[in-house]
Amino acid sequence: MAVERTIRHIKALATGAKYMLGGHRLTLMYPDDIQEFPDGYRGMIEYDWDTCIKCGLCAMVCPADAMKMYVSKEESEEGKRPVRRPGINYTRCIFCGFCVDICPTNSLKFTKVHDVAFYTFEEQIYPPEKFREGIPKPQYDKEPRKVRAVLDEKRGIRYEPVE
Amino acid sequence: MQDLLSVIMEPYVFVPLIFPGITVAFLLLLVIIWLERKIAAKVQLRYGPLYVLKPLGGAIQMVADLLRYLFQEPIIPKTVDKLAFIMTPALLFGAAYLPTIAIPVSPTFYAFRNDLSLLIVLALSTLAPIFTVVMGWASNNKFSLIGGVREGYIVVSYEIPMFLSALSMAVLYGSLDLVEIAEAQKGIWGIFLNPVAAITMLVLMYMSTSKFPFEIPEAESEIVAGAYTEYSGILYGLVMGASYVKLYVLSLVFAILFLGGWNPIPGFMANDPLLPGVLLFIKAFIIIVIGAFLRAVYPRFRIDQAMDLGWKTMLPLSIISIFISLVEIMIMGGA
Repeated sequence: MAVERTIRHIKALATGAKYMLGGHRLTLMYPDDIQEFPDGYRGMIEYDWDTCIKCGLCAMVCPADAMKMYVSKEESEEGKRPVRRPGINYTRCIFCGFCVDICPTNSLKFTKVHDVAFYTFEEQIYPPEKFREGIPKPQYDKEPRKVRAVLDEKRGIRYEPVE
Repeated sequence: MQDLLSVIMEPYVFVPLIFPGITVAFLLLLVIIWLERKIAAKVQLRYGPLYVLKPLGGAIQMVADLLRYLFQEPIIPKTVDKLAFIMTPALLFGAAYLPTIAIPVSPTFYAFRNDLSLLIVLALSTLAPIFTVVMGWASNNKFSLIGGVREGYIVVSYEIPMFLSALSMAVLYGSLDLVEIAEAQKGIWGIFLNPVAAITMLVLMYMSTSKFPFEIPEAESEIVAGAYTEYSGILYGLVMGASYVKLYVLSLVFAILFLGGWNPIPGFMANDPLLPGVLLFIKAFIIIVIGAFLRAVYPRFRIDQAMDLGWKTMLPLSIISIFISLVEIMIMGGA
């Protein structure tokens, strides 16, 4: 029993030493390298103002109450009746994608952008007029290298640069 | 200037203030905490501290951390025992570094030589845990109290076997004088003469300084930071440094007892404290780095597992190591 335990201790230490001397790292050096995401990645949401039929299904299905119908001022005054369009609140959004799935005219689309910082709480709320302008462009100090995560049987995850 | 330098080079100034005393201990603190994080990161396939001085891999991370500790406001809660709360970090750090005065640097360079210097070092190194217990009591916090009591439990389970295994080497060399012990290893090192004692002492050293499998008194995920929970600012910097300094002192003792101290050293260099000191430091440093490596490999033991190890495995092993020493003396015919 004692011998078996000692052997296990030695094995654990040997494994640790192997990794320490192996020199491989799984870390993505984020601001220098950014990952290229696969299609269907659920990032921030784009809104197409023209194809939207204002059905309100997105607001209805939203489990986090992030998507809401706002009264669109100009259109309401034009038509003399309240017109509602969707707006999104990124402080609540859980990026589940229900709104994108349910949209009958594909007016809502996912982008691959998720790394955006906001200065204030209010900036994260996108009423329809702001929602149509699209997502903010991520800003980097210097142009980052684009990499793709590749599964490697020996080493786990590798990052390969993409052109 | 010349006078000042000659005063500093006097052994009784140099030993407590430069090496192995406070200056080297402090520099070691800056290096070893960074190295510990770096080693743990490498084992776990991460980078560790990197962005403070990137070309050197974040080597001055601890300087930045030290500055932060210095300028952070030390918060003293209203309900603590103020005197004990403020005094214990300094006393703990002092008690951890105190044993360095009795550690010789070379056969002729030491603050003082005594027949019982091994006992002095071991006895002084037992002072520090008392302050951890006091700290746990003075903080008036349940986590601190649990941490203090855990430290008490750990102390009773490591102290006896650790001293027995250290003293088994004294039996083997027939002396309690660290200079004589190191000189006796000119030929063959203690670790080869009595490996059982070496392994026992090594494991218990890590236990006594809350290194990783035994990081029980300050178990982060269970009791916040144990006895150190209420501390902040430079007070926390001191208590965190204390266990590293204690490990440093015990590693020096280990290097002298088992790794031949400053041996092998060419005879003509023996009177110059530089080369023996460097050799001794390198040996101690390797021991500390092994301790840092353990952090990445082991999860934390439960307190009963650690006490089990202390009383049921290490105590018998340390008694066996005394018998090994006695048998070797019989075979070799006297120390």
